[in-house]
Amino acid sequence: MFNFLGEIKENLKTSKNVDFNSFNIINISGKMLYVEGHLGLVTLSKELISFKVKKGVVLVEGKDMVLSELSENTIKIVGVISKVEQL
Amino acid sequence: MTKFKNVTRFKISGLNQEKLLNEISKTCSLKGVDRLSKNETVFECSYFSHKKVEKILKNKNIEVLEKQHFGIVSKFKQMATSYGLVVAIILFSVFCVVQNQFIVQYEIVGTKNLSRTEIVEFIKNNFSHNKYLIDTENVEIGLVETFDQISFASCIVKGQTVVVNIKEKLMPDEMLGNFLPIIANKDGKITKIELISGTAVVKVGDYVTKGSVLVEPYTIDTSGKLMEVEAKAKISAEVYNQDSVEHYENSVEILRTGKVVEHSEITLFGLSIYNLKPEMNFEYYETEVSHVNLIENIFLPFKMKKTVYYELEKRIISSNFEEVEQEFIEKARKKALEICKNCDTIKEEYYTIRHVAGVDIINYCIVTLEEIGVTNVG
Repeated sequence: MFNFLGEIKENLKTSKNVDFNSFNIINISGKMLYVEGHLGLVTLSKELISFKVKKGVVLVEGKDMVLSELSENTIKIVGVISKVEQL
Repeated sequence: MTKFKNVTRFKISGLNQEKLLNEISKTCSLKGVDRLSKNETVFECSYFSHKKVEKILKNKNIEVLEKQHFGIVSKFKQMATSYGLVVAIILFSVFCVVQNQFIVQYEIVGTKNLSRTEIVEFIKNNFSHNKYLIDTENVEIGLVETFDQISFASCIVKGQTVVVNIKEKLMPDEMLGNFLPIIANKDGKITKIELISGTAVVKVGDYVTKGSVLVEPYTIDTSGKLMEVEAKAKISAEVYNQDSVEHYENSVEILRTGKVVEHSEITLFGLSIYNLKPEMNFEYYETEVSHVNLIENIFLPFKMKKTVYYELEKRIISSNFEEVEQEFIEKARKKALEICKNCDTIKEEYYTIRHVAGVDIINYCIVTLEEIGVTNVG
């Protein structure tokens, strides 16, 4: 998968306030969610997907959600995404 | 698009699938992860990683409900592992290679008098059947040396066919003959001899019988040397074609009166199971028997034997010969003509009548001019 966050990180190397080493989430129009830096899947269903991150758990709620891609540290969720929450 | 990518789709059933997916995702990237129900999930992985995934699933005691491979690589591998097909292809290839080395057909061109079978047999028996080993030059030499009638032979191998082109020696017709005598095929009196070759052993005016030799197949030169030649001659003769008919003053004629009695018998396996035989009191009769299959069935072969009795009566017929003389002469002529129906020239016809103890015998003779000489083949 093309890691465009890596590109951004490269561009923002000098900024010390931004912590890129935790996790990054990009929500695209509520139809696709890209996650980088997850630490493992916790829940998987069509309505709720949750995964561990460095400082907690991220809940993603929606409808007809499918894990389009799942690798060791990235997730791509496709479906109707209504809510993304970090606990 | 999935069909063109080299992926493997798994449908699994088991508990704690999130943990399982986390573990698999450390080994390879997963795609299309869809939770169908609490215990069932579908996901895809690269075809090249499917064995690793299977190992993990096996270790975790996860039941694989479905496994499907997509992509060219999997199809190719499936074909390659179809041992039967591979073996068949190998065997077929071996067969083709082996079979391709042998001569399948022999084509002999240019023979008129020589037997093609004889030439083919000669080549088969004396030269290799392998098209790479057969020496065409030796075949040519062998043919010319073995067969006197061959003046030139060329041989080539074309595909799996040996093509032999033969030029036969030109020989005089007399030497190609059968050297058999001309014999008479009918009785008759020789009227003309046109000798072409050979030695005539009969002369004009001789009476010959069927089967007697007319021309011998040789000539004797001035030095007295006998030389075989084909016997050729046109020999014409007067042939006497005769036949006779007889007329009886009193004759018995047998006629059917029209009365009929039928007997029927039904049999099964040759045993009679029904008989219908009405009384029959005919003094003179003739019978007609017919067998009929009652059922078209091989298991129960019912047959009916039907015997029809026809009553006959005898009538004594008296006939005056003078009244029917011309009719009987014509009958005798027709019979005589039957004998010489292929003959063009009728020279003479005559008949004689003899009376012997109530029987009149009409003998009719047709004298024809025919060629009677034939070569006795075989």
